[in-house]
This record gives sequence, C-alpha cells and structure tokens, in this order.
Amino acid sequence: MDDTRTKYSFYVERSALEVTDRPQKFLAAFAAVLDHSSYGLALELYTRLSTKCSRCAAACQLYQSTEENRDIPCQRSELLFRVYRRYFTRTGLLKARLTNGFTLTDDYLDEMAEAFYRCTACRRCKLTCPMGVDHGLVTHLARWLLAEVGVVPKALVVATREQLEGVGNTSAIPPNALKNTCEFLEEEFQDDYGVNIKFPIDVKGAEYVFFPAVSDYLLEPDTLMGNAAVMAVTGGSWTIGTGNYDGINYGLFYSDRLMERIVQNEVAEVRRLEGQKVLIGECGHATRSAWFIPTFCGPEAPPVVNFLQYTAEQLRRGNIPLKPDRITERVTYHDPCNIARSARILEEPREILRAICTDFVEMTPNRTENFCCGGGGGTVSIDEIRSFRTELMGKRKADQIRATGASLVVAPCANCKKQLKEVLEDHHLDDVEVVGLHDLLLKVIDFGDELKIDTGSTDESSTAEEHSEQSGGD
Amino acid sequence: MATWLEWARGPIFIGAFSFMVLGYLRHLLVTFFEIRRHLRRAGDRTIPTLQIFVATLNWLFPLRKLKSQWLFSATSILFHIAILVVPIFLAGHIVLWARGTGLSWPAIPNHLADVLTLVAIVTAVALVIQRLSARATRNLSRFQDYALPLLIAVPFVTGFGVMHPGVNPFSYDATLLVHVMSANLLLVLMPLSKLSHAVLLPGAQYVSEIGWHWPSDAGSKVAIALNKEGEPV
Repeated sequence: MDDTRTKYSFYVERSALEVTDRPQKFLAAFAAVLDHSSYGLALELYTRLSTKCSRCAAACQLYQSTEENRDIPCQRSELLFRVYRRYFTRTGLLKARLTNGFTLTDDYLDEMAEAFYRCTACRRCKLTCPMGVDHGLVTHLARWLLAEVGVVPKALVVATREQLEGVGNTSAIPPNALKNTCEFLEEEFQDDYGVNIKFPIDVKGAEYVFFPAVSDYLLEPDTLMGNAAVMAVTGGSWTIGTGNYDGINYGLFYSDRLMERIVQNEVAEVRRLEGQKVLIGECGHATRSAWFIPTFCGPEAPPVVNFLQYTAEQLRRGNIPLKPDRITERVTYHDPCNIARSARILEEPREILRAICTDFVEMTPNRTENFCCGGGGGTVSIDEIRSFRTELMGKRKADQIRATGASLVVAPCANCKKQLKEVLEDHHLDDVEVVGLHDLLLKVIDFGDELKIDTGSTDESSTAEEHSEQSGGD
Repeated sequence: MATWLEWARGPIFIGAFSFMVLGYLRHLLVTFFEIRRHLRRAGDRTIPTLQIFVATLNWLFPLRKLKSQWLFSATSILFHIAILVVPIFLAGHIVLWARGTGLSWPAIPNHLADVLTLVAIVTAVALVIQRLSARATRNLSRFQDYALPLLIAVPFVTGFGVMHPGVNPFSYDATLLVHVMSANLLLVLMPLSKLSHAVLLPGAQYVSEIGWHWPSDAGSKVAIALNKEGEPV
C-alpha cells in the first residue's frame, strides 16, 4: 500500500490505482455532469470573470498556514477551470487546434486530487471573492468528478458503502445495538438524574423523525441524552427509526449521485414512519445535506429542522425549565461551516448558550466568517492526514480558541467535535474541552417532578459526565 | 494623419463599440436564459433572494470591504471610479456623441476630469505593482492581469496629453491616434477578457447560488450516462 500513500496523502482504495484511461473517463463524467446538473453556468461565468485578485488567499486558513501556491483557493479552482475551458468551450477547442496547449493527463488528475482534498470546502473564501466565485462549489464538483475515476479517500467510501450496501449506516451499528444503546442511555437517565426519559423507537406518526450523526451513538452519548431530555421536557413528539437512523451523508463530500440516494433513503424512512419532519441532530454536514431534501425529493418533501432550531424555539416559548445554577466555566462557540456560512443557523445556539452559561464569549471572527475546524469536507474521517488537519488546517482554529481563554468549546457538529478534540490535543490546549451544545444544556435542565421516578430517592446533583463510553469499531 | 484619425474614430470606433455592445449583450442574454433554464429544471427553486441581493450590492459598491487589504481595495475602488467616470462624462467625449447621435448628457468639469485621469493612471500602475509585490497575486496572475491595467492606462495617458498639448512632447495628432486606437482595442477586448465582469458581476452571486440547485434526478442521470447504474459503491 506504500505506493498509494505516496501518490495520495489522503489514501484511496487500491482499486483506484487500477483505473485505466482516467483522463478520458474524467472528461466523460465532466460532460455528463454538465449535461444533467447545474454546474455549467457557474463554470461558464467563473472562467470568464475570475480576476485573480487573491483576496481569497487572505481568507483561507490553510494558505495562511502553508503559504503554498496550491492552497490559494483561486489557484486550486483554476485547475478545474483549465479543464473546462480546454474541453468544453469553443475558444478552448480552437486554441487547442492552433497551439500545443493544455492536455489533461494522469499527473494533472493526481495534482487535482491532492489539491481538492486539501480544501475542506468551508466556503469562507466565497465571502471575500469580489466576483462571487464559490470555490466550495468548485471543490464539490471536482471531487465528484474525481470520484468517477475512483479517486475518493478510503475512509469516506468505506463508510458510504456500509451505509448504502451494508448495515445501513456509516458506523455499521446494527438496529439491535442501537436499541441496546438507547436502553443503556435510558438507564443512565434513571441512575444519574432519577428521571424516566425514553428514546422512542419506531413510533408511527411522530412529528419528528430523528437523524443524528450515527457516530454520536458511539462517541457522544451526552449529546443524545441532551436531545432526549429536551424532547422529554417539551413534550415533543419524536422517534428514531430502525430503518434508517443515520444523518451522515458523505455524498455531500464526494458525489451527488450518492448524496441523492442517501437523502432519498432518509425521506423514505420518514414516510415509512408516517412522520412529518426530519429532525437532524448536532451535525453540520448532516443538516446541510438534509437541506437538499427539496432538491432531490421535491417541494412536498418533509421539512428539515436542526435540533438547535427546535431547542431555541422551545426555550423562547419558555418550555425548557432551567435550574438556577448555570454553567460558570467560560464557554465559547464554534460555528460549523455547513450551518453557519450560509447564515442559516447563527443565533439559535447563542440564544441557548446565553441562557445556560454565565460566561459566554465569542471567537473572533465568528458567525458566517468563522474559521473551519480544519476537518470539514469529510477530511476529519481520514486518520492518515491527522497532522495536516491539526497542524496546518487547525492552526488558526487553535489560535482562535486560545485567544478566548475558554475552557469549554461548544461545537454542535460531530465532525467538528472530533477534529477540535484532535486540534486541542496536538496544540497542547489540555485544559480546554470540546462539548456538544445539548451536553451542556442537559446539565442545567430542571426536570421537575413529572419525569421523576417514583421509587426510591435519587441524588439530583450526581455528576452527569460519568458515563462509561461505549467504544465501537469505527 | 488626418485620414488615419478619421478612420480610427469613424468606422473603427463604430465597429469596436458595436462589438463591445453586442458582446456584452450576448453575455447578458446567455446568462439570463441559462439561469432560467437551470432554475426551471432545479428540484428546489427557493433562492435566498434577499441575501443574494445584499451580497451583490456589497460587491458592486464595496465600501464595506475596505477593511481587509485596505490598500489594494482602495486602489482598486479608485481605479474603477476613475475609469468609469472619465470616458463617459468627459465634456469632449459628450460633444462627439452629440455630434454623431444627437444624444448628450451632463459633463464633469474638465479639471475634475484631469484629476480623475491622473488617478486612473496612478492606480493602474499601482495595481500592477501591488500584483507583483504580493506573493499570492504574483503567483496567480496571468498575462492579461498585468496587460489590462497597463493597456487601460494608455488612453488615459494619451487623453491627458491631448487635453494638455503644452506638456505633451509628441504631436497632437499622433497622440490622439494612439488614444483612439488604444480605446478601440479595449472596447474589443471588453467582452473577450476578464473585463466582461463589467456586465457579469451583478449576476455572479445569483449564478453561484444556482450552481447548488440541481435537478432532482441529476445524480441518477449522470449514472445512466456513465453506465454506472447499480454499480456498487
């Protein structure tokens, strides 16, 4: 496998190296995508107007760390623009006739693969481009085209395979194990909080069908308990479907073809359970891919609600009783790119945090301009590039967190959480902890008497953190 | 020389100007109809119009963007103001339009035109210097990125010479010929080069959003086109 590693630092499957006629296949895929999808107009415009002003370089946290040309967003996008101009515009075809111009080669494809997987598609540079070029869109497209010639990080393809052709979710958790985990968490509620809170499974006709990042069942039980607690105190009607309980959609990171299938499976589960809405847990890319539900399933498809939106709304209505003791440690909030860059979820988490914390501080910059955790675009799943992710990509993030002086970083996103934990570890920020928003909320929810277990007395103030975390084969 | 001049500001100018107008019109129409086509077949037709409108305005009048890279930004903004205002609102140009077409509009005072002309020349050169001195831009830049600002400066330098024969060491007619011909060249290049952003920029934010609005079956259709239906992941 050494050869793979030298060729692709992000490590593809061996079969990717056996694909022949890659340039030709890449161009065939490009042509098909231009025919059937909506990228053509954007490419046509970008190739005409791109002015190479380099403002994007100043916005890119990777370029700021590496100062390598290939990490300038505009330079990277130009890799794909060049192919588009040469093979799909009349002037390009004419130029090719007249000169010994550019030809797409295997080496060039490798260069693209490397470049487009060094980008997390955080789209921060889009905000600074005077010409409105969305380099995130270009990365998204380029990765799809590369996937059609077999170039996909192994971690992503293995997870998606498991989701679409294996057990049914990216962490390969069978339904029985899911039920066991939920029962275990219900016991935790009883033991630690003395309350009777259920994780409803396969309830027909519930308002919300719940899709967290499935890895939360293995790695972030506190977040899930926070979710369940909010549902319990607000009397929300929700369910987890055993047919599909995974909000993760790596199609967003490398293939619209797969994204379409995964989104449709999600909606199919909601329909099977006769649910009304899709409720996404604390996960940025799961939310963003669910926002594509109307794209793939039409305007009649169930609406999408992120758990932060649900909780903020209930808090506004006064439906979430809180204990008088708030969280006193200094807390800061990390905006996950997939929900914040487009300004769709910015204030909800802040409303919640201001209500439950006494010392909430903002990172600078924040909201739409926040820096990516450094593991976006699926790169967080690729363990082989950890040092790249934490040292180069995550440097700005680490500086940002350090500057706040916070001891808790709230990141309502499974990907961001994993990446931030590694960033903190590799930058020796040992006294800072990464948590989900609902983990914190769980600590201050006042369950009142209704949910209390009648038998025996329980100590309400027992620590919530002491969970024996289940570990899975991720 | 007089014949050359007549030729440059007569048929050649008319040709170059029409080429610019038709080229820009082509860009606008193609973009408009392509937006409509893409939107019609998109699965999700809800577009955050207000957000896009605000982003578009913020870039058409980028005063709020001065914060980052202020020197480059300020140079660029001044450059744009100067090169847009002077050619359109110079009294001498308006007289020519009035003579040729009967159309006329208010002019800016000549001394303001002088100042803006100098601004255009200085900022054009400054843009090139900034491009060369910043590492990221130097690496990104293509030939046209250096050539265009300098080429744009030529009609301004010669225009200044024409307006102030006292400081111009060259003959009036020769300067005027270079002035008219360099402007003609620019008119032709406008729709062909990155200068097309003059008409495409207002739609750019919208087009970027359209890029994310795919047809509901785009993925399956691509799979069919590539004979990859049912292929394992």
